[in-house]
Amino acid sequence: MKSLDLDSLKSVWKNERSFEDRKLSEADIELYLSKRSKDIGSLFKTGLVIDIVLKGIIGLSFLGIILLFKEDPTLVILGSVIFLGIVWAIRYQWLMITKIPPTGIEEPVVRTTLEEKINFYHQKYIKSLYVGAVSNALIILAGILYYFYFKYGEIRPFQWDDYLVFSATILIGFALGAYVQIAQHRFQIKQLESCLQEIDEDLISTLTLREQRNKKRRLVLVFVLALVCGLLLLGYFIFR
Amino acid sequence: MKHDRTQKDFLELIHRHQSIIHKICFVYCNSSHDREDLEQEIILQLWKSYPSFQGKAAFSTWMYRVALNTAINLTRRPGLFIDTSSTHELSYDPSDSYHLSEEIQILYKAISRLKKIEKALILLWLEEKSYEEIAEVIGITVKHVSVKLVRIKTRLAEIISNLI
Repeated sequence: MKSLDLDSLKSVWKNERSFEDRKLSEADIELYLSKRSKDIGSLFKTGLVIDIVLKGIIGLSFLGIILLFKEDPTLVILGSVIFLGIVWAIRYQWLMITKIPPTGIEEPVVRTTLEEKINFYHQKYIKSLYVGAVSNALIILAGILYYFYFKYGEIRPFQWDDYLVFSATILIGFALGAYVQIAQHRFQIKQLESCLQEIDEDLISTLTLREQRNKKRRLVLVFVLALVCGLLLLGYFIFR
Repeated sequence: MKHDRTQKDFLELIHRHQSIIHKICFVYCNSSHDREDLEQEIILQLWKSYPSFQGKAAFSTWMYRVALNTAINLTRRPGLFIDTSSTHELSYDPSDSYHLSEEIQILYKAISRLKKIEKALILLWLEEKSYEEIAEVIGITVKHVSVKLVRIKTRLAEIISNLI
């Protein structure tokens, strides 16, 4: 093989005909149009839509709980509070869909597109993942209440260890759900971040990274506190 | 009716300029499965962006821009039980899809060792885009393009000399 310099390769590239020869038919192109996008923006949207549907089902199940336990004012209040919370969460997730960085810009710039997606993930979407993970905790809670109803016809008085087991199960459900979702998305976001760093290593400054990390810690703390408060409230209503 | 007409125009345009898609897929894909995924994603993104195309630039220039952006933004999903990064890479031969000259096959092997943005820069350089155009597509300064290209070309030349 003779030695190859880049300029000679450039002219070989220019005259390479195989890219012109390979042809997708119009039917092939049309078929691609009917398929689903694998872009990360579409992944965000799919995740949000699934959570909205799931929360809708959970909301209905809590309406069922309110009806089943209509004689018990404590559970009616608890069910109603949770139901309103679910309605708020559905609205939150719905609004989040509208904030996903749009595709379809006339002249996309690589750096801007990457920045928009990364910022959306860190500043907005991560909150949605926590809101989404609450679904797991609510499914477990609804499951426990339905179990009690169909097995005993009532909520039986709890011992301290019952509180411990149920609280731990609900908490683990939430944490596991959040962890899996975040881990999956982080794997993909890291790929975008490495592209951005490749464009300009100074772009994501150490300060910004530290800010993002602190923001994430604050968020986790707020959600854990909210969950613990919710559990205490639940305990109070049941134990009272 | 109008939608059908738009889709028909779009299909014709893509069909005519599809070599751009093949070039980008050639540079960015390590397996035939990857290539199919990227082809599909590029066409979908072009279709979504088509209503915003106002003809300020040539269709091929716009298409290049959207397609390259899509290739850079398409991420791999986490594989639980397989290492998706390496299994196909070893067995993939782009000549299965394209009838390539020996020089281009060497170029493919060399480019496949570059990072995503490096690939974009070298592809735009191979396509004889001006530094101003490259800067505009990537979102960096002209000077930065020049510095980056010097470094990438040196690296590419080293890889090629090791390959032949």
